[in-house]
Amino acid sequence: MTQANPSSPAPSRSRAALRRTLILIAVAIVLVIFAYGWQVTEINLERPQEPVRQTNVTNALRELLSPNVLTQDYATLAVSIPFQIDCPEGFETPPVTPPADGTPYIAVEPACASSSETVTLTGYNFASNVLARVTWIDGDEQRRIRQVDGQDNFTIGLNGTFSVSIEVPRIRGSAGELHALEVQQAVPSGVPRFTDTTREVLDKMVETIFLALIATAISILPSAILSFFAAHNLMRAVRMSLGNLLVMFTLLPLGFLVGGVLLSEVGGFVLRLASGQGGGVETTGLSLLVLGAAVAARRMPTSTLSFEARLRSAAMTLIGAVIVVALIGLIGGLGLLAGRTFTEGIPGVLGNFVGSLGRLIELSLPFIGGAIGAFALTNVGTALTIDALKTISPAVSRVIGGALGGLGGAIVLGMSATVGMSAAWLGLLTPVVAAIMGGAILPLLFRRVVMHGRRSTQSDRLLMSALGWIGTIAVFAFTFVQLNVFRAMVEGTLPPNDVALALPGLNISTYVLTAMGIGLVLGAVGGAIAGTRAAFPVGSVLYSMTRTILNGLRAIEPLIMGLVFVIWVGIGPFAGVLALTLHSIASLGKLYSEQIENIDTGPIEALESTGANRLQTIMYAVVPQIIPPYIAFTMYRWDINVRMSTIIGFVGGGGVGFLLQQQINLLRYRDAGVAVLAIAIVVSILDYASAAIRERYV
Amino acid sequence: MLKIENLTKIYDNGFKALDNVSLEIPDGQFVAIIGLSGSGKSTLLRCINRLIDPTEGRIIWNGIDITAATDDELRLIRRRIGMIFQQFNLVKRASVLTNVMSGRLGYLNPVYALFNYFPSKERDRAMKALTRVGIPEKARNRASALSGGQQQRVGIARALMQEPEMMLADEPVASLDPATSHSVMKYLELLNKEDGLTVLCSLHFLSLARAYSDRVIALKDGRIEYDGPPSDIDDDRFRQIYGEEAVEVEIH
Repeated sequence: MTQANPSSPAPSRSRAALRRTLILIAVAIVLVIFAYGWQVTEINLERPQEPVRQTNVTNALRELLSPNVLTQDYATLAVSIPFQIDCPEGFETPPVTPPADGTPYIAVEPACASSSETVTLTGYNFASNVLARVTWIDGDEQRRIRQVDGQDNFTIGLNGTFSVSIEVPRIRGSAGELHALEVQQAVPSGVPRFTDTTREVLDKMVETIFLALIATAISILPSAILSFFAAHNLMRAVRMSLGNLLVMFTLLPLGFLVGGVLLSEVGGFVLRLASGQGGGVETTGLSLLVLGAAVAARRMPTSTLSFEARLRSAAMTLIGAVIVVALIGLIGGLGLLAGRTFTEGIPGVLGNFVGSLGRLIELSLPFIGGAIGAFALTNVGTALTIDALKTISPAVSRVIGGALGGLGGAIVLGMSATVGMSAAWLGLLTPVVAAIMGGAILPLLFRRVVMHGRRSTQSDRLLMSALGWIGTIAVFAFTFVQLNVFRAMVEGTLPPNDVALALPGLNISTYVLTAMGIGLVLGAVGGAIAGTRAAFPVGSVLYSMTRTILNGLRAIEPLIMGLVFVIWVGIGPFAGVLALTLHSIASLGKLYSEQIENIDTGPIEALESTGANRLQTIMYAVVPQIIPPYIAFTMYRWDINVRMSTIIGFVGGGGVGFLLQQQINLLRYRDAGVAVLAIAIVVSILDYASAAIRERYV
Repeated sequence: MLKIENLTKIYDNGFKALDNVSLEIPDGQFVAIIGLSGSGKSTLLRCINRLIDPTEGRIIWNGIDITAATDDELRLIRRRIGMIFQQFNLVKRASVLTNVMSGRLGYLNPVYALFNYFPSKERDRAMKALTRVGIPEKARNRASALSGGQQQRVGIARALMQEPEMMLADEPVASLDPATSHSVMKYLELLNKEDGLTVLCSLHFLSLARAYSDRVIALKDGRIEYDGPPSDIDDDRFRQIYGEEAVEVEIH
């Protein structure tokens, strides 16, 4: 302390100098980056000065800012006056008397002249500031336009009067004939009305707004569910014993398969009955039965935790799964029925909607059945094995851990390899998943063998992190090479779809089998080291997976998603809805989850301390806190979706963008101006509305 | 009977909050836990209902090993242990009644939660609990509209919904003014005397411990520094617990 004090000013001076130098270097680097960016973006001060470009942009802007919104009908007003070719003796220009009712009239001075002479035509009481033209009518009623100052049309002055010079035309054999001069003016008549362009734009604008609304509405539920998995504060603490997890994991695909076949049959049966493909009596009877069963299934949570109680609860879970699937089938069937029954007017619109939902349920029944089956079976499996797994000895726990881990690992890598077979670069998925598994093994081994349960020190943690990376890289490289991913990525080829192992209803290719083999080894080793009692951070894993998927989805622009969906479902608003929905789910999922991360955790702690389960805790401690920000962010998203839906049409996704693109391509800037104006108005209104609503709720 | 054996808690950052704590608390006792901030009071209380998982040691309550309980078993244990908090931990946007009824969730079918449904007898029970803490007229108010003392009474009512056999109170009056503090402490005393609840209450002020508790446990750096009747804490003991420079203040 006493030694450090006298010498301290010197280092601080040199440190300050160093800091100054570093700041200078940083500024220089920033400058270079900026200058490079200037070059890359081709900023050019000369091009905007070119006269042709200036004229073009002026014209384009002028037309855009003169949108072709309104149009009006015109009536032609014509006033004529006789004219004598070649003045006879003693001809005097007849006096012109202004009409008493103030209608337009004209006078010509002189009222006679020879060819090529110039006469003066004056007019009064015309519509001011409107174009007019002069027509010469000869003795054969032939009409020809006489130019004024070299133009066909001239503008009538502000007070409705004009005075123009007209040359008498040379017409063969016209000498001495009586001709006439006529002034025509197109006068606006009736009220201005919208142009066809405006009507088309309004029509598409409605489509645009609803496109955004539907996309936002559909995305709310999925993103709300995902947001819970993407909230770090909720997921961090979720751990599960490895044994239970592995039991669940091995039962998951089995439950999915069985549920997908059996439960979806149940659902489909009810759906067919309810949609009227069965008899009415059966439908009513079955609905009552289902409702009755649902009511009977209301049960209090088990107060004892004996095996019998668990068995009973497992049976209830299975029955519950059947009931839920039947209920979903019932809803879907009634929807289909309603869709077929109501086809006219507003009930028809509703019927179409409900019918579509019914059809959606019908189509997704195998998936719904699979998901519920997987849920039920894993639930039952967990309930029946949880006690057994708790009481087994460490050695047995390792054997079981190894066996289940091997099975689980094989399933995980088998699934990822199946996905990886569909596109060359998806082949990366398997090495990545394997690497994550591999990264866990060495640190686990270190913890078990070297640390023996003692507390970790700083160096332990450092070493484990290093071991984790070594394992990750090694396993990634091994899998990458084994599965020939590199070659597939370079050549864009897919792994051969041969049959290396034929299971009933499932053919496994060499590629998938290799991946399963790697997964088996990794899972078995990991499971054996950890044992079934190790706490697995299942929450953190789910969190990372959800966040990765959400971030990846958000990185893809809706326009690009729109391109793909247009290929799938064709040009039109439906493709736009799908693209915006997908992007909104990713975006809202992230925004929502950040709101969950910001909540007050006190109520969660309080409800957990009362013995509430996770669902109840979320419903009563989390949900009330997140509803206002969710509403605000949903509005915000709708706002964004309207903006996006205005341009999703550029790729064929429906809405006003399609029209806008057409008009721009045809250089019809006045029509494009209408679309631009409509977009600006709607976006501003929505911007204001969403801001107002957000202010109220946050 | 609550039996704590060699309880140790070491946090992930290496901080040792509890160091080999052993205790026996018979049913129906009012125990005050005192000590400086960071002495391990909150950690000890939270280990009992396992809001915090202890690193080592066992907690046995009426013959059940809380530390070994699975998630399902733990929920059944927790619903018999009420807890109130320094920051009340109410859902501020929700109504007082909902806050109180949410104390009953451990007894209800979880499916009800999806539909925000409470059976009517739970509403009656919640109104009774609110009557007991003297604020039945506030049932429809938002929790955030209540004063601190009233919010803590809502917290007590919520715990009452559990029909608890033991009450953990983590600095229940540290955010309240002295007069309100006494009213909240009186409700805890009432539960202890009338309902025979075991009460474990961590407190900052020794004077409150003296006024309400049968027994004082003083923690210092995660160890038990004193365990005995409040009357036996003299100036020497006081300095032992709170440090040489501490002066006892009375709170009336």
